[in-house]
Amino acid sequence: MSYCVNCGVELHATCSECPLCRTVVQNPRQPVDRDSPTPFPGRKGDVAPVQKSDVTILISIVLAVTAGVCGLLNLMVFRGNSWSLYVIGGCALLWVFCLPVFSGRISPYLSLLLDGAGISMYFGIVAWLHPGNGWYLRLAFPLTVLATALVLLFAAFVRQIHASVLTRAALVLGETAAFTVIIELLIDLYWQAALQITWSAIVLTCCVIIDAALITIIRRTRLREEVRRRMHI
Amino acid sequence: MNMSKRTNHKTPWYRLDLSAIVYPTLQRRNFSSVYRLTAVLKEKVEPNLLQRAVDQTLPRFPTFKVAMRKGVFWRYLEPNNRPGPFVEPDIMNPCMPMSFQNSSRYLIRIYYYQNRISLEVFHSLSDGSGAMCLLKTITAVYLRMKGYPIPSGQGVLELSEKPQAEELEDAYLRYASSRVRPPRSRDKTYRIRGTREPFYTLNIITGILKVQQVLSVSKHYQVSVTEYLNAVLLHALLQKQKEDHVFRELPVSIAMPVNLRRFFPSKTLRNFITMVYPSIDPRMGEYTFEEILLQVHHYMRYYINNKFLNADITTNAAVTKNPLIRVVPLFIKDLVVRQFYKRVQDKQSSAGLTNLGVVETPDEMRPHIERFDVLMGQPFSARTNCAVVSYGDTLSISFASSIVEADVERLFFCRLVKDGIHVMIESNRKTGVK
Repeated sequence: MSYCVNCGVELHATCSECPLCRTVVQNPRQPVDRDSPTPFPGRKGDVAPVQKSDVTILISIVLAVTAGVCGLLNLMVFRGNSWSLYVIGGCALLWVFCLPVFSGRISPYLSLLLDGAGISMYFGIVAWLHPGNGWYLRLAFPLTVLATALVLLFAAFVRQIHASVLTRAALVLGETAAFTVIIELLIDLYWQAALQITWSAIVLTCCVIIDAALITIIRRTRLREEVRRRMHI
Repeated sequence: MNMSKRTNHKTPWYRLDLSAIVYPTLQRRNFSSVYRLTAVLKEKVEPNLLQRAVDQTLPRFPTFKVAMRKGVFWRYLEPNNRPGPFVEPDIMNPCMPMSFQNSSRYLIRIYYYQNRISLEVFHSLSDGSGAMCLLKTITAVYLRMKGYPIPSGQGVLELSEKPQAEELEDAYLRYASSRVRPPRSRDKTYRIRGTREPFYTLNIITGILKVQQVLSVSKHYQVSVTEYLNAVLLHALLQKQKEDHVFRELPVSIAMPVNLRRFFPSKTLRNFITMVYPSIDPRMGEYTFEEILLQVHHYMRYYINNKFLNADITTNAAVTKNPLIRVVPLFIKDLVVRQFYKRVQDKQSSAGLTNLGVVETPDEMRPHIERFDVLMGQPFSARTNCAVVSYGDTLSISFASSIVEADVERLFFCRLVKDGIHVMIESNRKTGVK
């Protein structure tokens, strides 16, 4: 039997180091037993992925049946207009939103991208039924693409960078300011008016002020600790 | 008598007991409230026989042969007649997260390795005492299959008997009768600083001691074994806090489950425990080991009695009896409970310590069993949990930790060695094994 010279505990014959202090076992009278089985197995277990097939099947069938039945009703009974496209599009959109529930393995970025594409598709259906003045291509589509890009940016920031809640809040405010300004500019373009910032300047100013305050708090440790103390839950 | 088993013509189902409600809400991709009990036999385990023993035993324990289901307002357990659970070769990272959907929805796992039989249980099913009863019965049935005449009794249940109603009851509801409900707010406590291990790694260090040695040391200090081990762990945590050179010292506290069956007679095989929190506040001054012992001794004597424990379980029961809380949808309850646990409950203790006490078995089993081990499982946050159990003259103390550093374990066992107790160490740490 070998004892740890540092901790004074007896070690299992297969231990080459003391698990408590990592002192190497050097016992010329009893070398480390490398043949006997260790007290714990060497095989590492892995958690099997959760099977959500029942939920997937249930939600998919409910949505598919809803879409199908509404489509048939529209074709055969209530033929006034193509109202069923709203329901079919809505079902397709819900299905896309549910993708992370169906499979935990789907990349969150891909899921968000598909959500953006789904929303664009739904706006497209509305635009097809109510073409208007080209509002879809000049307003709804670019705004959806922009919103998706900003959400993706935030998701990447949260997942890749270990940042505090304050830093994340600063990013959200920055994105909100940029999004508001671009909304106003796109509306100006849509109405073919001169490009200028008016109402979005108020949002921009508020966001800049709060962002400046947040960045100051983030950069000054003493201030950050004070805020943490006062705001702790 | 409040019965938690509801009979609806054909399909019985079980409400989760008061303790069991919390554990599923804490379920994460990388965390489940799973603990492990191990019987170390004197001969190598035969997996085929073990599987047969499990198959024969489980119908006698209907609350273990269940699946977790979600209702609109609460979760519940329903009988699970899918094939399984199947015995598996053991793994080096026990108490892995347990999904409610996988493994045919069973919430127990049975492993074998060399001469060990290990049972892992999701905490919503039972506490350590209930699960120990299952493990002892499985082991007894296994030994009978090997040809040894093992009688029932001492926690080994008779398979030919039908499960008794009392074994399936939610005993909390039977005994929660205090007219006052003590407040629960507690201070924030010291959190162990350490490097988190990668996903699914659980570091185990088991110390094997002689019961007689520990008893004589405890007797020397005029305290019980549980009080002595609590004091040693508190002392280790205080030393660790000092070594960390923290900016602001905080109280050091241990979350210790108390088996309520000792105070409120019940045969239930489900959860029937409550927590007590022996603690030391170093801001009041430097504590010697003897002073810590005295503090723990008096704390235990003051709080661990049927009056205080009754008040505590009444506070728990009040939450689930409140009609306003009952009608809140489950997903909101989950959200609130998870946040409460994360921000308040989990911060109220620096480590966990459970003492299952002396395991009794029929005398005929003793020649075939070397010892029992218990593992508290993966801690919710970065810290270490300690579990104690004794069998015959062997006391087993197992630490389960999800951090790389083993400072608390080292300080704990070094204190035992300093008190003249012989400690034999086993571990699954990569640096410690060949």
